[in-house]
Amino acid sequence: MIAIFVCAIIAVYAGLRVVFEKNTMRKLPFLNVVSFAITGTIALLLPHPLTILAAAAYFVGSTLESNAIASTWAGGIRRDD
Amino acid sequence: MLDEPTRILIAAAICWANFMIIDLFFKLPESGGVVGATAIAEQVEAGGGKLNGGFMMGNIVSSPDASAGTLLASCGVFCAGLFGGLFAAALVYIGNRICYDPGYAGTTGCITATFIVYGATQIGFAASDFIAGMVIAILTIQGISSIHASRLIARLWKVRCRLIRGCR
Repeated sequence: MIAIFVCAIIAVYAGLRVVFEKNTMRKLPFLNVVSFAITGTIALLLPHPLTILAAAAYFVGSTLESNAIASTWAGGIRRDD
Repeated sequence: MLDEPTRILIAAAICWANFMIIDLFFKLPESGGVVGATAIAEQVEAGGGKLNGGFMMGNIVSSPDASAGTLLASCGVFCAGLFGGLFAAALVYIGNRICYDPGYAGTTGCITATFIVYGATQIGFAASDFIAGMVIAILTIQGISSIHASRLIARLWKVRCRLIRGCR
């Protein structure tokens, strides 16, 4: 039971850090912590074999979004040249 | 048997060591895997941190690495036992490929974490301790201070380069 509270509290804390951090690129590590904490909460709330699919799908999706935000913000393909 | 907060803290230390050793071994602090990771590293450096630490933080943000593998392995073992953990490794590999990453660190971290978590459940730990532990472990790297975390990673990266050759 404590494990769910730890995950939920860390998710809220990291969410607040995302809001109050001014630099967009430095927001992303905090957003990453939110993803970790919510993935953990999903698994802890739904102990079912299929939950791992839901947790992994959420986590990979949010990572891909962070990747896309960071790469777009950095200039995308133009910067690779 | 230990009480739950103590088990969570021990699990956090084990998860931290697992993902840090594997990420350092697979050279995550050496360079950014995608342009986004490099940009995060530059911003961390501009804020007073170290570039190598920033690269690793950027790589963790941009693709499922060993820390994500450890978390999903814990979730897999919690939901479906040893098989769940190994299934999570396959999902991490697919996630790595989606995020334009070779996938060595994430998949290796997930497989080692599966056996660590499954072994720990045999000696009195619960898989849920490792889920909360991994969330605490990632909080220490990504969620408290990017400056101090990047300096710590840069210091560990120097130690790794001294022990194993092949660093730029």
